[in-house]
Amino acid sequence: MTDMGPVITAWSAISPFGLGADAFRAGLRGGVPAPVSSAGHAPYAPGRLVPDFDARTVLGKKGTRSMDRVTALSVAAVGELAGGPEASGTPAEGPGPGLVLGTTGSVQSTMDFTRSSLEGERPFYVDPARFPNTVMNCAAGQCAIRHGLKGPNATIAGGRAAGLLALNYARRLQAGGRAGTLFCGGAEEYSEARARLHHHGRGGPDGTVLGEGAAVLRLEPAGSAAAERDGLAEVVALEFGVSEDAGEIPAALLRCLRRALERAGARPADIALVAPGAADGPEQAALRDLFGHRPPAQADCTGLIGDAAAAAASFQVLAVLVRAEEDPAAAGRLALVTAVDHDGTLGCALLRPYPAR
Amino acid sequence: MITGLGAVSSIGASVTEFLAGLRAGRSEVRPISAFDTTGFEHAGGCEITGFEPERWIERLDPAELGRAARFAVAAARMAAGHAGLTPGVLATSRVLVAVGTTDGETRDLDRLVAQDVAEPGAMDPRIARRASASRLSTSVAREFALADAEAVTIPTACAAGNYAIGHGLDAIRAGDADLAFCGGADAVCLKTFAGFYRLGTIAPDRCRPFDLDRKGILVGEGSGMLVLESLESALARGARIHAEVLGYGLNCDAFHQVAPLEQGVADCMRLAVADAGVTPDEVDLISAHGTGTKANDSTEARAIHAVFGDRPPRTVSMKSMLGHTMGAASALAAVGCTLALEHGFIPPTVNHTTTDPECGLDCVPNESVTADLRIVQNNGLAFGGNNAVVIFGRYDEGAA
Repeated sequence: MTDMGPVITAWSAISPFGLGADAFRAGLRGGVPAPVSSAGHAPYAPGRLVPDFDARTVLGKKGTRSMDRVTALSVAAVGELAGGPEASGTPAEGPGPGLVLGTTGSVQSTMDFTRSSLEGERPFYVDPARFPNTVMNCAAGQCAIRHGLKGPNATIAGGRAAGLLALNYARRLQAGGRAGTLFCGGAEEYSEARARLHHHGRGGPDGTVLGEGAAVLRLEPAGSAAAERDGLAEVVALEFGVSEDAGEIPAALLRCLRRALERAGARPADIALVAPGAADGPEQAALRDLFGHRPPAQADCTGLIGDAAAAAASFQVLAVLVRAEEDPAAAGRLALVTAVDHDGTLGCALLRPYPAR
Repeated sequence: MITGLGAVSSIGASVTEFLAGLRAGRSEVRPISAFDTTGFEHAGGCEITGFEPERWIERLDPAELGRAARFAVAAARMAAGHAGLTPGVLATSRVLVAVGTTDGETRDLDRLVAQDVAEPGAMDPRIARRASASRLSTSVAREFALADAEAVTIPTACAAGNYAIGHGLDAIRAGDADLAFCGGADAVCLKTFAGFYRLGTIAPDRCRPFDLDRKGILVGEGSGMLVLESLESALARGARIHAEVLGYGLNCDAFHQVAPLEQGVADCMRLAVADAGVTPDEVDLISAHGTGTKANDSTEARAIHAVFGDRPPRTVSMKSMLGHTMGAASALAAVGCTLALEHGFIPPTVNHTTTDPECGLDCVPNESVTADLRIVQNNGLAFGGNNAVVIFGRYDEGAA
């Protein structure tokens, strides 16, 4: 494949390090994990939460009364890039800005809604204003409403690989001429319901510290004026696989990495930086097999912000961008993001950060 | 090119039964069995009864799959068989699996809540393990042992099936994939029924799209699945081509979480028609989103009139037969569109008495008709203002 991939021109983050890109950047550079919240549901799985995040405080009172946390995180993170409601309106020509968001919404909202039906005096005494929260595309729809995004609007599920699947979805929309500017990322909330599902799905405590937040990129089509002017990094290749059990992950991920390199016309030695989904386990086994005795530098993310699930891979992409800002050696070379999800999805992305200007 | 179809629905759990059901205008409304309906004044729906996943699912253990994943995997197996995909072809192809959904495995989440209500703290580990929406697509990949597939679940609510088909089209066109399994799946669940009931949009008896006396939706379930591949690939392996995906459109109303916006819906249809390289007057049939609610049907009809003028093509709602199968809806309708093109008929809008003059559409009431169709449009509108419209074309051998 010789055709250029989409270009990342800006990013935003609402992370366990706080609101905004600067807080995320400082947190990664500091290298000290964000605190585990005491408000977490510790018997199940502890969490690193976005500190002091409240929808009404961050987004105002209007339209936030029934908004759930993952929606608010998404609306706030997209808002930092989309520039608020005044940005609404479709350009005279071509598609308006769109959104591709990796998320499965809020299991807390869904399960609370069911609970209100089961425990109410009548089974339909449920809050209609909260019904949209129980559908997984709620966050993307609210982002569109609040930021006037009339272009393609998609929600992508894929666990810890969702951010990479979303990037590939966005890449195809732009390559097919279906989208101009796209906001693309992932969003996840910490909740008791999520912690309990995680706990019981693993059959007990597995040592995972959960994370949350929203990480969003602005993507411009290759060759566009905005890409030429504001480019931070090119999305060079994306590849995926599916594992049936943990034992298959290293081999499946290794094949996935090799396909990505082939697509990029590159060798393992061309990779200067890796932002893995996990600092140990099967992902690292695949990386050891690929790189042998000369592994590139790694940028940790999960260890610092926790397992951010649907937002995880998007935060890893940001970790590449942050590292590239301060490391001239990374610019122009390839950076690798890997993601493995316990529900079977695995994937990787090759990015090429541009030299700082 | 569409070379394979799979359908799990309340009017038939095979392509042959589904085709016969559409032709006959079948509709199976029964008291809902998915959950305890005590306290609801009416609770009929279009559930699938007597579904035997082991009839279709070969490799995976159905007990490890939620109900929606069972539907998706079964429909994918049917589609693979229908397409004549051998294990050898599957093993050597680059495959995209794209499955749309509204609720994922919320049926299972409902059960976990019910367990917790009955016995605080309880949660069945097997159900917790299988409850993730992303398993809809990974389960399809696992069923065919596709370890190098791209498996993506697209939870864009009730337009999700069309999103998945569009994504498959783009992946094939870009040369990213040789084969794509695209569709949608959902299972009836209390959460969604209670929500729609509270909104006053559950019909008390029958679903009557575009009728003056329409009273809302009936919840349904199932899965529709298509196998897409390039013309070259289909010809090379001698596959039968059932129809062609000509193009699609995607946009967002950016207006309201629940209510559709005429302008957004009309714009999406225009995008789709233009992407397909046709003009509105060439569209022979519209498979409407047509939920049977007052608001949807009149808004959608106004948008159709805005795009197609005073004499719009015949416009049917398969939801009158299938109920609203949520994330499977536009996928099952896509299977219906393909069958309509291939077999030269129009599936009817059943339960129809008097067309609402506000809608002003020929909805092919109650009985299917034979028709020489070339271009068919499939509308999908969802919560969040997510619109997706796909255009299908008849494939004439030798004409390409």
